[in-house]
Amino acid sequence: MSALFEARGVAVGRGPAPCLTGVDLDVRPGERIALLGANGAGKTSLARVVAGLDRPRAGRVRWLGDALPRGPARPRTVGVVLQGEIAAALPVRELVALGLGLDEAPTAAAWRAVDATLADLELTALAARPCSTLSGGEAQRAAMARARVAGPRLLVLDEPTNHLDPRRRADVMAWLDRLDDAIAAVIATHDLELAARCTRAVLIADGRILFDGAAAEALVPDRLAAALGVAVRRLDDPSGGPPLFRVDGRAA
Amino acid sequence: MRTLLALAAVLAVAAALALSLGPTGWRAPWAMSDVVLALRAPRVALAAVVGASLALAGVAMQAVVRNVLADPYVLGMSGGATAGAVAALANQLPAGPGAAAGAAAAVALVRALCRGAFSPARLVLTGVTVGAIAASAAGVMLVLSPAQRLLRGAQSWLFGGVSIAPWSIIAAAAALVAGAAIWSGRRAPAIDRLSLGDDVATSLGTDVGRLRRALLAGAVALTASAVALSGLIGFVGLIAPHAARTLVGAGHRLLIPAAVLLGAALLVVTDAVARTAFAPREVPVGLVTALIGGPWFLVLARRELA
Repeated sequence: MSALFEARGVAVGRGPAPCLTGVDLDVRPGERIALLGANGAGKTSLARVVAGLDRPRAGRVRWLGDALPRGPARPRTVGVVLQGEIAAALPVRELVALGLGLDEAPTAAAWRAVDATLADLELTALAARPCSTLSGGEAQRAAMARARVAGPRLLVLDEPTNHLDPRRRADVMAWLDRLDDAIAAVIATHDLELAARCTRAVLIADGRILFDGAAAEALVPDRLAAALGVAVRRLDDPSGGPPLFRVDGRAA
Repeated sequence: MRTLLALAAVLAVAAALALSLGPTGWRAPWAMSDVVLALRAPRVALAAVVGASLALAGVAMQAVVRNVLADPYVLGMSGGATAGAVAALANQLPAGPGAAAGAAAAVALVRALCRGAFSPARLVLTGVTVGAIAASAAGVMLVLSPAQRLLRGAQSWLFGGVSIAPWSIIAAAAALVAGAAIWSGRRAPAIDRLSLGDDVATSLGTDVGRLRRALLAGAVALTASAVALSGLIGFVGLIAPHAARTLVGAGHRLLIPAAVLLGAALLVVTDAVARTAFAPREVPVGLVTALIGGPWFLVLARRELA
């Protein structure tokens, strides 16, 4: 099956010099890929290139084997949820409708898609509320609905579980699990438990990709210590659930 | 939709009242002599066109700098227009075209100084500074000029005054604002997406740079047209978008027509007040918009920012 996204020899970074070079990355349908690394390692920079927001400083990127389309086809290809998005004065339902990227007023069918997405993210009761009055968790779900409504094949999420209470964090993880297998998600995160529920993890440190493989193999103490610069203990769930992680605090 | 119809009705009533109202009191338009009507009708029409232009320029400028407290003059256009008008008057030229040229030149300078990554804060700060420099230059010209005539000519322009213009010019300005309203109305969803921030708007397929350049060009053209026709009239471009937002919400599909209708009605009413309240003397309408609009805006700002 062809890759939803592919990068070859890509360099990323927004500072004077690239923070991450030599990136080869293929994203295939059904994958949930966690980008892990310390602050400044280049997770967000890489996620922005995958989202098509920044051009890579070097190398080649392709979405569905091609350049990113313009106009309304773009949100149907890649959906993006960023950290700290601007809270619009618009009601939630209109925000989500903007996610369709249409240049005309939405049709009845488009509004049905909007309402189905609102229901999927438990936002129906908030549909008429201005986005500027939402709590952090509600705003996060509204942004996810806005990114999802056009039905993109690829989702890029920057720190989707940051600042969420335990229940909302669990909801985000469950929502990612629920996405169908035609969709891939690339998630820049510090949340190791979220990473453990992904199918694949990319560990970034020292300006390059240290490891790219199955999450179960990536999230082991040695590799995490090398990527994050701190000792991490992995606590496996005897009943077979995703593991927990404890950061020891001293440098590895 | 119902709100828009109501606003159109408000504008029609305001125009009818303004037509009927003169320094000698009220008289129905059909009972008026043709001479009075021929003098008053273009003035009412011009007030409506200028008010609509300023309101639409305000909506566009607020979308460009992503701040609802922005007005059409925020990028140095008031100072630039003043300097242009005074320079034109000093050289025995008409103030209007000079003002339009000065306003456009100020924005061009601000844009040139703000090359690189888009930053609304930088744009606004540069605009305020360029405007202040241009306004001071105009002040120096006025103070040093030997001719009293210059000061008097500039004064009527600086405080803003709707006077009589030929129908052809009114029609041209009306075509500009109508065209700009239709153009921006068709792009309402994209302008809405712009309010979500550049990254989100880009991810939703919006060509952010191009849309913002077009909006800015439109705002400059509308503001230049307004200052050329009637000098500096403050507050309409700030209050009309604000009031429209409280009536129809922040979505530009309704906000654009609502602000245009409201801006037109607002200036028609204030101009009628300006020419009749102290009859037989006239007060510059720019002073009236500030005197009436200022306190109203304080109430709005207090309620919204509380």
